[in-house]
Amino acid sequence: MLKYLILGAEGMILTTIIAGLLYAWISGRYGNTGKYILHGFALCGMIAAIVMSYMKNTTSLVHTGTWNVRIFTVALAAALLLLVFGLIGMKKRSVFLDRLVCVMAGIYLAALLFYALPDIYAAPFNFSLGGAGVFSSAFFTRLVGLLLGVFLSILAGIATARIGSRSPRGLLTGVLVAAVLVNTVHQFGKIASVLYTRRVISGTTVFNFVKWSANNEDLFIYGVMAAAAVLPIVMWVRSFHVNEPYENPAQHRKIRAKWRSIRRWGSTALICSILGIVILSPVKAYANRPVELSPVEESILDGDNVYVPLEQVEDGHLHRFAYTTPDDITVRFIVIKKPNSSSYGVGLDACDICGETGYFERNGQIVCKLCDVVMNINTIGFKGGCNPIVIDYSVGDGYICVPTSTLIEHQDEFK
Amino acid sequence: MKKAVALLLTAVMAFGVTATAVHAEAGFEEIPIFEDEEVGFMNVSAVYFQPVPMAPGQEDTENYNMHLECDVSAMENDLGYGLGDWVPYLTVDYDVVGTEEGNEAHGTFMVMSASDGPHYGANVSLPSADTYTVTFTFHSPAENGYLIHSDAETGPGGLLEDVFGEGNLSVTYEGWEYAPQEW
Repeated sequence: MLKYLILGAEGMILTTIIAGLLYAWISGRYGNTGKYILHGFALCGMIAAIVMSYMKNTTSLVHTGTWNVRIFTVALAAALLLLVFGLIGMKKRSVFLDRLVCVMAGIYLAALLFYALPDIYAAPFNFSLGGAGVFSSAFFTRLVGLLLGVFLSILAGIATARIGSRSPRGLLTGVLVAAVLVNTVHQFGKIASVLYTRRVISGTTVFNFVKWSANNEDLFIYGVMAAAAVLPIVMWVRSFHVNEPYENPAQHRKIRAKWRSIRRWGSTALICSILGIVILSPVKAYANRPVELSPVEESILDGDNVYVPLEQVEDGHLHRFAYTTPDDITVRFIVIKKPNSSSYGVGLDACDICGETGYFERNGQIVCKLCDVVMNINTIGFKGGCNPIVIDYSVGDGYICVPTSTLIEHQDEFK
Repeated sequence: MKKAVALLLTAVMAFGVTATAVHAEAGFEEIPIFEDEEVGFMNVSAVYFQPVPMAPGQEDTENYNMHLECDVSAMENDLGYGLGDWVPYLTVDYDVVGTEEGNEAHGTFMVMSASDGPHYGANVSLPSADTYTVTFTFHSPAENGYLIHSDAETGPGGLLEDVFGEGNLSVTYEGWEYAPQEW
C-alpha cells in the first residue's frame, strides 16, 4: 500500500500544484476564456495520456525516453513562450496576445499531464500481487494507496488554485515563475539523461548535471511545494491584519467569510504539502527499508549431522538454521513445513541466481530477499529458478537430519 | 511584434524538430555499456534495457530498473564453438559497483532467450546515477557439465582446461556513466 501511496503522490503532486498555480493565474487575468482554454488543453492532456498509457502497456510502439524528450521539449518551449508573451502582455494587451498566453499555458499543462498520468493510469494493471487476483485484499490495499496519493495531489492542486486566486497578482506571478523554473531544471535533467545515455551529448559537466538531477528527483517536488507554500503563508499572515473597508455588517460578514475561506484553503494547501513531504521522506524511507532476515534458530550438532526437531518447524513458517564449517564459514539453511502436507521443504538459505542473499516470509509466502520473487513453497527442496539450493537431508525419529558434509560442500555459496 | 511572434514560433518548431530527431527503435532499444571486450576465446558485450518479465517464474519486474545483458560469442577457438556462436553452459557472475556507498548490484546471470537469441541476463535494481565499474566473471562450462571430445579423432583439439585451467576469466569495464531511465 505504502509503495503505491508514494507512487500516487510522487507522480502527481508536482503536476497538480503547478496546474493549480497556472489555473489561478490564468483565471485571474483572462477570466472565463482563459479557464475554458485551460480546461480544454487539460482534457486533451488527460485523454492523450490514456492513449499513451494503453500504447505503452499493450504495444511496443512507444519508446518512453524519446517521448519524454518530445514532451519536455514542448513543455519547455511553451513555458518560454508563456513567459515572453506574458511579459509582452504586461505592457500591451490585445485579444490575440491574451489568447496566445492562454494557449501556451494550456499546452504547458497538457504536456505535464501527458507525462505524469500514463503511469498512474497503468498502475492498477501492473500491481505486483504475488499471484493474487483483482478480487483480493492485496489488490484493494494497493488501489487504496494509489488513490490516496492521487487524491492528496489533487487536493493540493485545488487548494493551491483557491489560495492563488485570492493572492496578490504580483506574488502569484512570482510563485508561478519560480515553480515553473524549478520544473524546467527538472525537465532539462530528464532530457539530458536520455540524450546522454544515447550518446547524443557528452561531457563530464553534462553527466554531473544528469547525475545530480537523477539522484535528487524529490528535490524538485520539494522546490515546487516550497514555492507554492509562500502563497498560503503570506495569506495567513495577511488574514490577521485585515483592514478592508465596509459600510454595513453584511459587508463585514462577507469580508470575514472571505478571509476564513482563505485561511481554510491555505491550511489545506500547507497540510497537503506537509503530508507530501512526509510521504516522500520518512514514509518512502520506511517503505524502501531493507528486509531483515529472521535470526538463526537453535539446532543440534551431533557428530557429522545437524538435527532440527520436527516440533520446532511444525508451524508452517520459515525457520532458519546455520552450521559453521571447519573453514569458519557460516552456512545457513532453511526449513518450512509444506502446506497441507506432512513433508518439509529444506534447502540452503541461498540460490544459484541470487547467491547468499536469503529468504524471508511475507504474508505467508517465502520471498527471495534480492529479487523479491515469491517461491512456491511446495517446490522448495527442488532444483530450479530462484529456489533454495537443494541439499541432502533425511527425516526420521522426530528430527530433520542434515549431514554437515552437504553444508561443507556448499560453503562457497556463503562468501 | 508579429515578427517577434513568428521568430519565436520558428524557434519552437526548430526545437521540436531537434527533439523528434532523437530517434530510436520503437519500444525496445538496447543501450550499450561496453562492446567487443575479448577474454579467452570469447567476445563479450554488455547492454541494458527495460526490465523484462521472464518465464517461468520471473515475471515480476516491479522492483527493477533495467535488464542487464551479457552477450558472449565465440572467436576463433579449438574448443568446437562456431565462430560468432553464443557460448552456452557458462556461469556468469556480475558485479556492478559505483563510486558511492550502496550503489552496487551483484549476482549470477540467468540463461535465457530473447528475440535476438540466447544470452546471459538478469533484471537488476540500480536506482542511483553514478559512475560504475562493471565486472563479469566467467566460470568454465565444465562446471555445468559441458564436455569436450578429448580424442584426436573426434575432438576439436583443445580442452576447456586450456582456457579455464588457471581459474575463472573476467572482464572489467570501468567508467560506465549511468543514469536511471524511464522505460
